[in-house]
Amino acid sequence: MEFEFTEDQLELQRAVRDILDAEAPPELARAVADGESDGAELWGTLAGLEWPAMALPADAGGLGFGWVELAIVLEELGRHAAPGPFVATVTQFAPLVLEAAGPEDAAVLLSDVAAGRTTGTVAVDEGAGTWDPAGVQATTRRDGDHLVLSGTKHYVVDGATADEIAAVVRLDGEVRVVLVPGSSVQPVEVMPIDPGVRHSTVSLDGVRVPADRLLGRGDATRATRRALEESVAAIAAITLGACQQIFDIINAHAKERIQFGVPIGSFQAVKHKLADMYRDIERARVLVYYAALTLAEDHPDRTLAASMAKAAAGEAQRRCVQDGLQLAGGIGYTWEHDLHLFLRRAKVGELHFGSASHHRRRVARLFLQSGAA
Amino acid sequence: MRLTYSPEVEAFRAEFSAWLDANLPDEAATAVRPRSSADIPEWSRSFQRRMFDDGWLVPGYPPEFGGRNADLYEQAVFWEELGRRRITQSFNPQGLGIVSASIITFGTGEQKHRWAVPIMRAERTAALGMSEPGAGSDLAGLSTRAVLDGDRFIVNGQKVWTSGAHHADVLLAFVRTDPDVPKHKGISALIIETDTPGLVRRPFRDITRPDPDFNEVFFDDVEVPRENLVGELNDGWRVCTGSLAHEREMLWILWSQGLDRMLDDMLEQLNDGAGAGAAGDPVVLDGLGSSIMDSWALRLLGQRQLARSRRGLHVADQSLLKLLGSEAQQKLSLLMLEALGPAGLDRTVPPDAQSPYESDRAALSWADRYFFTFAGTISGGTSEIHRNIIAERVLGQPR
Ligand SMILES: Cc1cc2nc3c(=O)[nH]c(=O)nc-3n(C[C@H](O)[C@H](O)[C@H](O)COP(=O)(O)OP(=O)(O)OC[C@H]3O[C@@H](n4cnc5c(N)ncnc54)[C@H](O)[C@@H]3O)c2cc1C
Repeated sequence: MEFEFTEDQLELQRAVRDILDAEAPPELARAVADGESDGAELWGTLAGLEWPAMALPADAGGLGFGWVELAIVLEELGRHAAPGPFVATVTQFAPLVLEAAGPEDAAVLLSDVAAGRTTGTVAVDEGAGTWDPAGVQATTRRDGDHLVLSGTKHYVVDGATADEIAAVVRLDGEVRVVLVPGSSVQPVEVMPIDPGVRHSTVSLDGVRVPADRLLGRGDATRATRRALEESVAAIAAITLGACQQIFDIINAHAKERIQFGVPIGSFQAVKHKLADMYRDIERARVLVYYAALTLAEDHPDRTLAASMAKAAAGEAQRRCVQDGLQLAGGIGYTWEHDLHLFLRRAKVGELHFGSASHHRRRVARLFLQSGAA
Repeated sequence: MRLTYSPEVEAFRAEFSAWLDANLPDEAATAVRPRSSADIPEWSRSFQRRMFDDGWLVPGYPPEFGGRNADLYEQAVFWEELGRRRITQSFNPQGLGIVSASIITFGTGEQKHRWAVPIMRAERTAALGMSEPGAGSDLAGLSTRAVLDGDRFIVNGQKVWTSGAHHADVLLAFVRTDPDVPKHKGISALIIETDTPGLVRRPFRDITRPDPDFNEVFFDDVEVPRENLVGELNDGWRVCTGSLAHEREMLWILWSQGLDRMLDDMLEQLNDGAGAGAAGDPVVLDGLGSSIMDSWALRLLGQRQLARSRRGLHVADQSLLKLLGSEAQQKLSLLMLEALGPAGLDRTVPPDAQSPYESDRAALSWADRYFFTFAGTISGGTSEIHRNIIAERVLGQPR
């Protein structure tokens, strides 16, 4: 077992970091927070660099970099609190289309995504906050050569802006995935704590789409679960990146801020908080990378690993937001300081796609069923 | 990154596994149990000797020291096999892991053959004399005094907590040889035979077991030959901090295995034993999930350390792994104790829960196990000291 990035992966990490340092500096996240930008230029830039294609599997018309490479990109997006449709499009919409439609059809459907021309998202949750397809009650029925949908979807990331929404609904009791044009729904955008990641409540009532927008054949519960494993691992990677940024800001602050004639980092109450943040981040880091590795290899541990990554990133953000904000003192409580940009990204990451506690309990149930750690 | 070992490493595992099949002592022979961490029953001594002679005791060492120059991944699968079969590498862990390792790293050729090899072959046993009544976390503040007088040292003072000393043939003792220089610079390491006149051991009990393991060791004009000095005079701090160099990348495995051992037992009890009722409790599930993550994270962080070390990179996560491992065991045993309710107070040990080849403390009541986890968070540097080390040496905060 070789549990460290290869030289190529380390090179990619440096390149991604350099690009985002230039293209997504804190000023961009701040402009988004101030309502002065929607981050559209960044998506244009990333599309120009073929990032959407890079992250998509070759099967889906992408360049076929693996999931470990995708995790590297996502972690850096989190570190920069980068705005834009990359995450929902590449880690939510694309996997669900791929899993539900199968590689052949997906390659056609996703070619515009790979080219950066189309953005997408998924509509799964109906208010429980767990993204469990078993809880789906929204429906569709056939009406001639059309489908008519009904029901309400919650927490649809980019629900007000995505070009395409992959909606998980029931057809004759079976879980199915239907592609709904963003223009055909009336989303109600929720006032976001992080304007770089917006979600909406989307009513599907009365939406009519051509019947060929129904993906695949047969029940899509398993397909949806598999796709969501990718979405969950992706949010974990982003949250990890946001935590790392919070930590870097605070670790540097503790060396520079002088009180009582010494850097505050010489106080043991401060040191121990930093050590615990570091521990939780490293714990989350290896679990995120492990999830990426299991997804890359389609290893049977992927279900467990995705939940462990999400829960560990959740535990890390809990400590980093709490202690990071506390150790910054008054300056961290100001709008002018960059810290809050990352605190927001970390908190969104906790609450989207199932909380840490939800995923911990899943991990425990999987363990009790499988009979081994 | 990949998830599996190379075929060569798996072949190494298979070879060791076959060796164990052929050489593990008969269960019937294991009835005599060790009474302390330096008390090795005869059956275990002969097994440890066989491991040494066949190069399976410390595979990373050269053959003359009981190994076969195994690389780090081979060493890792060696530990995995021991853990999977619940075999303790040695019933004198300080003797093998610290005392003989220190002598091999810092001692003379003569010292290696006189002490290190016999300790490794379980012909002799050893205890570690670091801590004193006035020097625990502040180990460098130790005051047991050794005065060089011709070709011998005269030692006076006291050690405490010296695990297994009452059954040990020798001590590796850290003593003050120069009181007039900064504290780290006046320490030396001495091998002291425990039957030397003037050396008195007083064993005392800890909170987990009836047989004592702790000792106070008193030195009253104890004469120690100069040739028993390990490393240079006044260079004992280097011996103290460097003694684990050989196994530094491997120490996490013991934390990881201890934790997995607990998870195995927990799984059994939650699925059909005393804890079946707790298995549906969301609070228990929530805590259990976090412990399972600890176990995976420990294993993955340990593997990352091996990978980095093999690439010749600086490895800096020993404190992180020790902190995570020892506290994870504490967290899990407390969870299980509380999940079981009053049943967690039961001290009776199901007779089949334990392998005869492992230390007797592996299978205790959850209350005893919880108490025992404090041996992990207190010895080998307390959790607080490791947090200091992480903040200062890894994160660069001022001292
Ligand atoms: C099971 C067991 C086996 C042992 N076996 C051996 C052995 O074989 N040989 C041997 O030499 N020793 C042995 N020890 C001793 C062990 O090394 C010491 O107990 C340990 O170093 C702590 O020292 P102390 O007990 O004096 O605690 P103290 O140093 O007095 O610490 C008390 C508390 O103060 C905290 N504290 C102290 N200094 C600081 C600081 N700078 N910052 C923050 N907090 C601080 C500690 O974390 C701890 O919580 C053993 C101990 C145990 C529990």
